[in-house]
Amino acid sequence: MASQTTGKNEHTQRRLEQVAHHMNASGRPGVIEKHPDDIVVTSALRTAITKGGRGGFKDTAAADLLVGAFKSLIERSGIDPKLVEDIAVGNVLAPGGGATEFRAAAIAAGFPSSTAVKALNRQCSSGLQACVDIANAIKCGTIEVGIGAGVESMSTQYGPQAVTEFSELLDNHKEAAECKVPMGALSEQMAKDRYISRKSQDEFAYNSYRKAGEAQKKGWFDEEIAPLKVKWTDPKTDEEKEITVAMDDGVREVTVESLGKIKPAFAKDGSIHAGNASQISDGASAVLFMKRSTAERLGQKILGKYVTASVVGVPPLLMGIGPWKAIPVALEKAGLSLEDIDIYEINEAFASQCLWCANELKIPHEKINPKGGAIAFGHPLGNTGSRQVSTLLYELKRTQKRVGVTSMCVGGGMGMAAVWVAE
Amino acid sequence: MLEFRTAGFNPYSVKYSPFFDSRLAVSAGANFGLVGNGRLFILNLTAEGIVCEKFFETQDCLFDLTWSEQHENQLLTAGGDGSIKLFDIGVGEFPVAGWQEHGREVFSVHWNLVNKNTFLSSSWDGTVKIWAPERKESLVTLPVHSCVYSAEFSPHHPDIVTCVSRDSHLRVFDLRQKPSAQNHLTLAIPIHAPLKIPIPDNVTGGVQPSECLTHDWNKYRDSVLATAGVDGTIRTFDLRAPSGPVNVLPGHEYAVRRVSWSPHLSDTLLSASYDMSCRVWTDGSTQDNGGSGVGFGRELGRMDAHTEFAMGVDWCMFGAEGWCSTCAWDEKVLVWDVRDFMRR
Repeated sequence: MASQTTGKNEHTQRRLEQVAHHMNASGRPGVIEKHPDDIVVTSALRTAITKGGRGGFKDTAAADLLVGAFKSLIERSGIDPKLVEDIAVGNVLAPGGGATEFRAAAIAAGFPSSTAVKALNRQCSSGLQACVDIANAIKCGTIEVGIGAGVESMSTQYGPQAVTEFSELLDNHKEAAECKVPMGALSEQMAKDRYISRKSQDEFAYNSYRKAGEAQKKGWFDEEIAPLKVKWTDPKTDEEKEITVAMDDGVREVTVESLGKIKPAFAKDGSIHAGNASQISDGASAVLFMKRSTAERLGQKILGKYVTASVVGVPPLLMGIGPWKAIPVALEKAGLSLEDIDIYEINEAFASQCLWCANELKIPHEKINPKGGAIAFGHPLGNTGSRQVSTLLYELKRTQKRVGVTSMCVGGGMGMAAVWVAE
Repeated sequence: MLEFRTAGFNPYSVKYSPFFDSRLAVSAGANFGLVGNGRLFILNLTAEGIVCEKFFETQDCLFDLTWSEQHENQLLTAGGDGSIKLFDIGVGEFPVAGWQEHGREVFSVHWNLVNKNTFLSSSWDGTVKIWAPERKESLVTLPVHSCVYSAEFSPHHPDIVTCVSRDSHLRVFDLRQKPSAQNHLTLAIPIHAPLKIPIPDNVTGGVQPSECLTHDWNKYRDSVLATAGVDGTIRTFDLRAPSGPVNVLPGHEYAVRRVSWSPHLSDTLLSASYDMSCRVWTDGSTQDNGGSGVGFGRELGRMDAHTEFAMGVDWCMFGAEGWCSTCAWDEKVLVWDVRDFMRR
């Protein structure tokens, strides 16, 4: 009976949605249309992303990165901190999800104690999940103004202590136990099974470096990066200095040949290596959300709008195919086709999986990660999802395009995608 | 104007019997077809107004119906539960036959007007199916890969099938062709393509794709069809020039749910829209006067008596030209003469 009722509700919902679609302009024009109840982004920024263990933020705690991102967000948007009712922070590695120190970070950044904070963890999509949670809370009236954020200090918190040991029960369940297979190992197997050659991966990685290098030189990251002053210990002299970090320090000059020489990391005859997988990095990002009507009332400048999002599950061992499954679901919800999208920001966890997803979906390569991705400048796990928002919206604006998608694969076998419009 | 109330049910489609000038059928669903039962009304036009002769109950909304061309008492329905049912007015309260192959809501059914021994159905499951009433399984399945709101046999040829779908395309299938990789598909015309010959002041040429909800074959010109849908614009197509529309008729403020060409006049069509109006149009062809068949279309008149989304229209084939029936979500079926609403 219960399942019958759910089935009926689903039918009703689908039919209702269909008729609702008939009332709006459908497809791209419908998505671009402006409505007072649109969930808009009035500010989106990130810190620079720096190399784990060696980069500019190697001695900075995750919470301190977050304080920096929050302060810059308040300053740039001019939002009255009192009006921010809730902040969601995506993070993967902090013990306890980081709930305590992120709450403290908000207070240290200048938010009053009346601003609530939560920490959440959906692995590599945590930052996006934080944005989606806040957007949904605004959409259904729980709050009026909120911040979706993400942060990760892999320098200080990456390691085996971030994952709880599996119980005997989980270890004895075949598919459940597969959730703890390391990302590298399972991606290596997937690359092998799906015939993603080392050469094609290296070419993809080279292009990520090339695009990021060009974007950096031409200053295309300048609008999204908020420079941050931090303490940094020089490893050579052990001297503590104060430095300003304003640039991603993982971006470097490579060639397909130089990448071709790097030893595989996960299997002797493997294809994945340090040069064609995402870097271990530190960084934070924050996105300010509210309804269009609220933004207009507060005089906030609108950067873009959030349209919809999807989350899907895939077999744990095929974690990398997440975007392939999640993107069409998000587009279906938005009433868009793959061709309607101007830019896809798909996280480059591994060149192999990102390339496979793009090829399967037949997305033209020039539409994917036009400013490079995690291979070139790093993937601070919980930060990536909210980082992609500023990367996408500023790039859409710069190139005078409109509709974009952010997406990533998620550890444990999931995928997320979201649709955004730049204004 | 005559009126009938489908109390408790919101009509989706109305069709005149091809055998009797006084008989109508209306398919409807409770709660706007979102959830709940369906009902098929058999109506008679009498001296005392419209009288319900009989109705059939179903477990899900009936999105469309078509009268049998073989048997005066039989008609088919398109069910929300994916079923197609054949009802006989003379037989009890249950269908006399049923077919269940579609995976989702069936949105249209149509009887073959030429050979009279096949019919078709189209569904949200992205297929069009061809059936014979005496067979349990479908004869052919035509994949469309997009929700098919409307499919029809050509009234001029028994083996030509057309359909329109969510993906903004008008597809033409020829069942005489071998079922190759093309699955009988001979043409897929983008409905949103720009006009071949631009019309002065036309702002709707070359627009974005939008869901196409309805289409109909012209009864006189054997290569001409009309389509309409979510963008509120009616377009006409000539299959001899299949790159895009030959005419556009903008005017409806919201989605157009149904279009129907007149059985009497080759240039005239009727539409029903979510803007609650039913409108009469000429596509501007002056063929009746020896013209070329291409011209500037315009609205000839509108009927605003409906107070909710207008969903169905059909012309009466019999008697004087101009009589028609419309139905809407206001639980009303109206029978009226188009000529009373023409602009003078």
